[in-house]
Amino acid sequence: MSNAPHILVIDDEPQIQRAIRTILTEKGFKVTTASRGEEGLTLAATNKPDIVILDLGLPDMDGVEVCTRLREWTQCPIIILSVRDSEQDKVAALDKGADDYLTKPFGIEELLARVRVALRHSTSRQGAQSKVIKAGPLTIDLAWHIIKRGDEEIKLTGTEHKLLSYLAANHGRVLTHQNILTQVWGPADADHTEYLRVYMRQLRKKLEADPEHPQYILTEPGIGYRFIADE
Amino acid sequence: MRRSIFISYFWNYIIALGLIAFITALFFVLRDMLDTTLIALLYLIPLGLITALWGLGPGITSAVSTFLAFNYFFIPPFYTFTVHHPTDVVILVVFLIVAIVISQLVGRMQTSLAAATAREREATQLYELSAALAGLHDDHTIAQILAKQIQDVSHGEAVELNITGTQPFAFHLPNITPPTRSPEVIVPIQAAREVLGEIRLWKAAPEILSGEKRLLQTFASQGALALERARLVQAESRAQVLEESDHLKSILLSSVSHELRTPLSTIKAAASSLRGNEVSWDSAARPELIAAIDDEADHLNMLVGNLLDMSRIESGALKPKREWNILPEIVGSVLARMRHLASEHQIEVDVPENLPLVSVDYVQMQQVFTNLVSNSVKYAPEKTVIHVCAFVEDKSIHVLISNQGPQVPPEHLERIFDKFYRITAADRVTGTGLGLSICKGIIEGHGGRIWAENIPDGLAFNFTLPLIWEGAPPPQLPIDTEIE
Repeated sequence: MSNAPHILVIDDEPQIQRAIRTILTEKGFKVTTASRGEEGLTLAATNKPDIVILDLGLPDMDGVEVCTRLREWTQCPIIILSVRDSEQDKVAALDKGADDYLTKPFGIEELLARVRVALRHSTSRQGAQSKVIKAGPLTIDLAWHIIKRGDEEIKLTGTEHKLLSYLAANHGRVLTHQNILTQVWGPADADHTEYLRVYMRQLRKKLEADPEHPQYILTEPGIGYRFIADE
Repeated sequence: MRRSIFISYFWNYIIALGLIAFITALFFVLRDMLDTTLIALLYLIPLGLITALWGLGPGITSAVSTFLAFNYFFIPPFYTFTVHHPTDVVILVVFLIVAIVISQLVGRMQTSLAAATAREREATQLYELSAALAGLHDDHTIAQILAKQIQDVSHGEAVELNITGTQPFAFHLPNITPPTRSPEVIVPIQAAREVLGEIRLWKAAPEILSGEKRLLQTFASQGALALERARLVQAESRAQVLEESDHLKSILLSSVSHELRTPLSTIKAAASSLRGNEVSWDSAARPELIAAIDDEADHLNMLVGNLLDMSRIESGALKPKREWNILPEIVGSVLARMRHLASEHQIEVDVPENLPLVSVDYVQMQQVFTNLVSNSVKYAPEKTVIHVCAFVEDKSIHVLISNQGPQVPPEHLERIFDKFYRITAADRVTGTGLGLSICKGIIEGHGGRIWAENIPDGLAFNFTLPLIWEGAPPPQLPIDTEIE
């Protein structure tokens, strides 16, 4: 168990710490907890965890600040915990380099799914990234620019293609509006959320069986989008 | 000013004496036709006039000089002040007494008339001030009116009112900055218990008349009364608001504790039975209990979320993060999520794809649709139709969510959007009674309007959302259609 993934949980609420520690330990992770921002930063520096789970509402410092300071020296995935209705804070933390977020109260499957995605991304950062992504009946070949549903090829426009490629390459992760707009349209269009709305709707119509109830291109209300691929 | 008053006084004397000299000259010319006693009588006319016009001082002076002139020119021996005839002595003495008495009487009447006029003017000004101040409940308006009246009455160079209190401020007239020197008159605005401010008057005259100062003091006390009244009214309305919110809070507490207890009881019962090993591992009840805990925890979360939203709307903190959104997408996502909840109803959607974009907060708008649809689901009988449609209607998007549920008595139609307002008794239907008022808060936060109406077979919720946002119409997007 010595090379079990190490997770650092920074949260000031003992009940949440207890719940997360119990569940993650049960799932074979090594868990360290900190209840203050400074303590968390110190533990992160000494223990070099594989994932940091960070609550945005800490007593001593702003969670976004912790995020920024972690990003100064480490690329380890950061998962944000926060309460509902603080979309602005979540977006701020995500734009400052956090990888994902969870809204309290959260289900444990959600937590584990986020942890799995984070681990996969931390390994793919180090090694080769898979070039073909599968999501249900969809196959997205990032290298050859081919998208298929089953055997049938789906035709996309240039922008749609760029958008889908970016989403698929980051599958499992939440991508903020601004992030996607900057990457796909360029920094000048970073505020044009309406582009995203329209193109995402077009993409869903082409890719999803039921565009109103999407399975692969998910909306994260108030935050951004997430592409769900097969594990 | 003092100098000019002095000069005008001086002139009064000169003119009075001049008039006497003129009359004397006239009588002197006509002295052969006039009898001495008649001259004495005729002299009384200008005397009375002078006193009436210029007051007691010139009057007495004229009386004395007339007496001398009369004696000198008209009482023999002429051109001396000596008198030979005893009758003439009597005439002279009587004349002097009559002249002085007339002067004094007329003068006194004149002075008291002037005083009465001044008092009347003061009373009128005071009346005007108190009439203007009556019914005002705002410190700023009171200060404005008070300053204007003081300026009108005093004709000073500048007036400044410094009002103390929770939000102290200064108001001055005219609208230029008051002189840098310290004001000539400072009158405190003294209320019964405290000083509410002060009146500062700049008036170039070296002397402020005592009447003027008294008037200022009266104005100050009128101002103090008005300010105090305003503060009392404010305090009263604050107390009323507090009382009302206190009342709402107690409703909230009872409603919330009732609402929260239901899911909590379920969770407690399910969790404790699982923990106590009362349910065997392979029992079919086990997954059901676990699902109940999960569902009820979600329900609790929703209730708490509603309460938070309501308090945010109340405090004005629920600012929509508006972006151009696709309404059909929002409706679709909400209905997809509610599929399970609304499985016993038939939901018809008529939200056309080609609707223009709307600038709304995605999350808040989802909540509006969720609350309105779930309200319809809650009250409309099973198997009935819930209809959701949207269309453009003069510069706004009109959304209509109708159900075939019970109608609402017309007098309640508006009130159903009030907090905690329900027509059905609280123990019959679940919910915090906040859903519709949250919708109202959100729609109004977007500059729209929300209302309910009875339709032939049920109830319809309507709301509008303006199409124009920050002066801009919905954007047309550069869509590329070229396939790679």
